[in-house]
Amino acid sequence: MSRAGVLRALIFFGLLTALPFAVTEHWIVNLGVFTLIYAGLASAWNLVGGLAGYPSLGHAAFFGAGAYAEAIYFQHRGVGANGLLPFLALPVVGAGVAVLGLAVGWIAMRTRSDVFAIVTITLLFVVQTLAFNLNSLTGGSQGIGMPGAPFDVDSYERPFYLVLVLLLALSMGITWAALHSGAGLSLQAVAADEERARGIGVHVTGVKLLAFAVSVGIAGMIGAVWAYYVTFIYPQFAVDPLITIGMVLMAYLGGRGTLWGPVLGAFILVPAQQYLAYQYGATQLYLIAYAAVFLLIMLLLPRGILPSVGHLMRRRRVVTERASEEPDQDAATTGIGADGGVMVR
Amino acid sequence: MHTVIQALILGVLTGGVYALMASGQTIIFGVMKVVNLAQGALVIAGAYLSYSLFTSFGLDPFLSILITTPALFGVGAGLQWLFLRPLREEDRAELSLLVTFAVALGIEGVLSVTYKTTYRTIQASYADRSFSVGGYQISAVRLYAFLLSAALLGVLYLVLERTKFGRAIRATVQNPESARLLGVNARVVAAAGFGIGAATAAAAGAVYGLLYSFNSGSHYDLISRLLSIVVLGGLGSIGGSIVGALVMGVVASLVAALGPPIWSDFSFFIVLLAVLLLRPRGLFGASLRGAL
Amino acid sequence: MLDCNRMQRFALRRRAAAIALVVVTSTLTAAACGSSHGNTAKGPTTLTIGISLSLTGDFADPGKAAERGYQLWAKTVNAKGGVLGRTVTLKIVDDASSPNQAVSNYQNLINRDHVDLVFGPFSSLLTIPSSAVVNRYHYAFIEPAGGGPAVFAQHLHNLFFVQPAATVQGGMVFADYILSLPADQRPKTAAYPSLDDPFASPIADAVRQRFEAAGIRTVYKSIYPAETTDLSPIIAKVAAAKPDVVVAGTQSEDAYADVRAMIQLKWAPKWLFLSNGANSPVDFPNAVGLANTEGIFSSGDWFAGSTASGSAAFIAAYTKAYGGTADQIDSTSAEAYSCGMLLEEVAAKTKKVDNATIISTLHSGTWPTLEGNLSWDSSGTPQGSYLLEQWIGGKLLAVYPANRAEHPPVTEPLAWAGK
Repeated sequence: MSRAGVLRALIFFGLLTALPFAVTEHWIVNLGVFTLIYAGLASAWNLVGGLAGYPSLGHAAFFGAGAYAEAIYFQHRGVGANGLLPFLALPVVGAGVAVLGLAVGWIAMRTRSDVFAIVTITLLFVVQTLAFNLNSLTGGSQGIGMPGAPFDVDSYERPFYLVLVLLLALSMGITWAALHSGAGLSLQAVAADEERARGIGVHVTGVKLLAFAVSVGIAGMIGAVWAYYVTFIYPQFAVDPLITIGMVLMAYLGGRGTLWGPVLGAFILVPAQQYLAYQYGATQLYLIAYAAVFLLIMLLLPRGILPSVGHLMRRRRVVTERASEEPDQDAATTGIGADGGVMVR
Repeated sequence: MHTVIQALILGVLTGGVYALMASGQTIIFGVMKVVNLAQGALVIAGAYLSYSLFTSFGLDPFLSILITTPALFGVGAGLQWLFLRPLREEDRAELSLLVTFAVALGIEGVLSVTYKTTYRTIQASYADRSFSVGGYQISAVRLYAFLLSAALLGVLYLVLERTKFGRAIRATVQNPESARLLGVNARVVAAAGFGIGAATAAAAGAVYGLLYSFNSGSHYDLISRLLSIVVLGGLGSIGGSIVGALVMGVVASLVAALGPPIWSDFSFFIVLLAVLLLRPRGLFGASLRGAL
Repeated sequence: MLDCNRMQRFALRRRAAAIALVVVTSTLTAAACGSSHGNTAKGPTTLTIGISLSLTGDFADPGKAAERGYQLWAKTVNAKGGVLGRTVTLKIVDDASSPNQAVSNYQNLINRDHVDLVFGPFSSLLTIPSSAVVNRYHYAFIEPAGGGPAVFAQHLHNLFFVQPAATVQGGMVFADYILSLPADQRPKTAAYPSLDDPFASPIADAVRQRFEAAGIRTVYKSIYPAETTDLSPIIAKVAAAKPDVVVAGTQSEDAYADVRAMIQLKWAPKWLFLSNGANSPVDFPNAVGLANTEGIFSSGDWFAGSTASGSAAFIAAYTKAYGGTADQIDSTSAEAYSCGMLLEEVAAKTKKVDNATIISTLHSGTWPTLEGNLSWDSSGTPQGSYLLEQWIGGKLLAVYPANRAEHPPVTEPLAWAGK
C-alpha cells in the first residue's frame, strides 16, 4: 500500500476515533453514529453494486436480518454486565447473514443486472413480510425489543460509535483488498464483461457470490449494532427500502467503485439530510428537495464526486501536457480511478 | 368450492387492473431498457387527478380518463426528455433505476404538498353496487375496471400492431440498431414509449382510485407488485405482463381465501422466485442478449 | 509515460485525501459551532418544551392534529400568564414518521437545544425508542399517543401515557357492555377480523379472551396485513361463518373497507364493533355514507359531547382558533392539549415544574384532563377505561358506562342488512 494511502487512512480513522472523546455533545456523537451506519452500509454495498456491477436494491433486507437476529437472540437474555455481549455476537451475526446471502445470491445472480435489481427489491419485501408474519419469532407488527445498554450516560453513544468505526474499517479494508488483489481483479473483470470473463477462466460465480456474501454480512452486522442502539425495532423500519436507497445514493454520489467514494457520499448526505429534516421537515418540501438533489447528482455527476473530480483533473493535465507538446493518450483512455484502482465504468 | 370460485373471480378482476399498470411498465422497459420505478407514482398521480376531477366537477372517473391519459402522456414524455435522455448510453441502464426512483419521490412530494397525506378514495355512486351471478357476488366497480383494462389493452395492441408508430416501437424493442438503420427516430420513440407507459398509468390510476383508498405514499406497495409482475412475465413482453398480473391476482386471492390472509402477497413472491429459478428471464422474456 | 501516470495517480490521491479531510474537519467544525448554540441562557422567564411530531410521512394527519392541540394549549396558558409566570415556548420538530429521526430529534432537543421539558411524539412506534433516550437524561415523558403494551413493558418510571387506559384495553368497554346484557340477549358466536397492527389486533384479541371465557363461541378469526386495501375476501369469510357479533381490530382505512365490503355483500352481524375508524366523527360517515353508520360501535377517549373538565372551554378555543365544528376535532388534539393541562396542574399543586417534580408528583392521585380523570401505575399505564361510543341518528354518542353516557345503547339491525 502506498505511503500516501496509509497516511490518508491513518488520518481519517484517527480523527474519526478521536471524535467521541474530544467532543462530548451527545447529539453530535449521535449524528456520528448514524453517519457511520450509512458510511459502512454504502461501503459494503459498493462491493456488490460498485465493484461487481450488480446493483442490489435489497441490501436493507440483510440489514434488517442482522437487526432481527440480534434482537431475537438478546430479547430475553442479558447483555452482560458491561453491555458488550451484543458486540461480541457480531461476527456470528455477520457469518449467519453471509450464509443467507450465499443462498440468495445463488438464485438472484443468475439473472441480468436489471432483473437482478428487481429481484433484490422483491427480496426486500419478502423479508419484510416474513418479519411481519412470523409473529412468534419476530413479534410481528408489535416489534421486538432488546435490553438497553448499561453504558454510562455521559458516554453512552461512544461504544456504538467505536464499533461502527471498526465495521467501516473492515468494509474499507476489504474494498481496498478487492481493488488491489487477484480476486478483486476477477471481480472487476466480471463487472466489465461477464461472458468474456468466464471465457478467460475467471471463476465468475464464485467471485460474485463471495462479494455478495461479504457485502451482506457487513450490512447485517451494522443492522445488529443499529438494533442495539435504538433498542426497539419494527419490520417496516428495520427492512426499509429507503435504507437501500440511502446507501446506494451515497455510493453513487461519492463515486461507485472507488474506495473513498461511498464514505464521502455518506459524510455529505447524512448530516445534510438530518439538518434538512430538522429545519425544514415540516414543510413537506423536504421530499421534493431530496428528489431534486438526487436528480442533480445523477444528471451532473453520473460518475460520482471522486471520479468526476479525477476526470476533470485528468483533462486539465491532458490539456497542459498537450500544450507542452507531449500528448498523453493514456490518461484519457486508461480510466484510472482516484485510488489507483481500475474504474469499472 | 364456492369460496374458491369467488376468490378466482376476484383474483381475475384484480389481475386485470394490474395488467394495465404493468403493461405500461413493460413497454417502457422494452423501448428504453429502463426499469421505471416511478410507474407506481404515476398511477397514484393519475388517481389523484381523477379524484380532483370527480370532486370538483363530478366527472365520472371512467370519463376522466379521456382527460388524464393525454395529460400524463405529456408528463411521461416530458420526464423522459428531462431526466433520462441526458443520461449517457452506458450509464442509462443502471442510473435509470435511481433517476426514476428520484422522480417517484419527487412526484410523491408534489402530491403530498398538494393533497396532504389524508387517504382519499373516489366514492362514485355505484361504488357499493354489486351483481349476483349464480350465487357469486361481483362488485360493479371491479367489473367495470376489468372491462376498461381489457378494452385499453386491446387499444394498445391495435396501436402497436396496426399503426406505423406502433411498428416503430416494436422494431425498437426487438432490435434498436436495426430500427435506427431503418429510419426509426430513436429519440421520438423513446419519449413516446415513456409517454404511453405514463398514459396507461393514468387510466389505471382512475380505476385504482375507485377500488382502493390511497395517499401520496401508496406508490411503494404498488411498485413492488408491478415489478414482480413484469419480471414474472418477462421484461418487455406485454402478453407476459398480462399473464403475470393474472397469476398474481389469482394466487394472492386464493391464498387470502383459503389460508391465512397475511401470506397472500408472500405466496406470489414465492411463485416469482420459483419461476426465476427455472427461467431467469421470466415466462415470456426473450433470451437474446441485448434485446429483452 | 509510465512516470506521467504515476505522477497523476499520486496527485489524484492527494486530492482525494484532501477532499476527505476537508469534509471530516468541516463536519467537526460545524458540530463545534453548533454546540455553542445551546448555551443561550434560558432564564426563568420562559419554559421551553421540546416535541418531536410526525408532521410529514405516514402519521402526518394525527401528527398535525397533535400540533394543533399543543399550540392551542400553549396559547391558552400564556394568555393566563404562563406556567408559574413563565411563558411557554414550544419547539416542535418533524420526525417524518421515522424512529431514527425521532431518536435524533430528542437527542438534539435535550442535548443541543437544552429544552426544559419534553412531550411525546405520535404513536407507540416512535414513542418507544424516544422514551429510552428521554429516560437516559431523566426528563419526564408525558406522551399522548404511545399506549401499546411494549411501551409499558419498558417499566420506565418517567413515562405517562395521557389516555384513560392502555390501548390494548380499547375493546374492554364493549366487552363490559355485551356481558352486561341478560344471557338470552347476548351473542352466541363471534368473529374477529383484525389488522396486523400493534393497536388493532391486540384489542380484538383481548375482547376475544373475555368472550370465550363467557361462552361466546369464536367462529372466525384472522389477521390481515397492514397494507390490505381490499377486505372483500376477508369479509366474505366472516359472513360465511355467520357470527352474531363482529369485533374488528381496525385502524381507519380498513374499518371503512370492512363496512363497505359488508354493504357490498349485503350482510351485517347483529353487533358490529370497530376499534378505530368508526370513532372518527367526520371521516367515517364520509367514507361509508351517513345512513350506513347507524348502530355501529366504537370506543374512544374524547368526543365532542364530553362532560370532562375543561372540554367545553377547549372546544370553544379550538373552533375559534381553527374554525370548523366540535365534531371535526380529532381526539389527538384533545390528548395533546391534556398533556399541557397536566403540566399546569403539577405546577399549581407543587409550585415547581422541573422534571423530577413532575415524575414524582404524577405518580399519585388522579388528575383531571379532557379525557377524564387519569392516574398511572409505576410503569406509566393509565388505570381508567375508555368510553363505548355508538352512531345513533347520525351522531356519535357515548353509550356506556351509564354514568358517562349521553344515550343508552341501541340494538337494531344495521342499516344495510337484509336490503
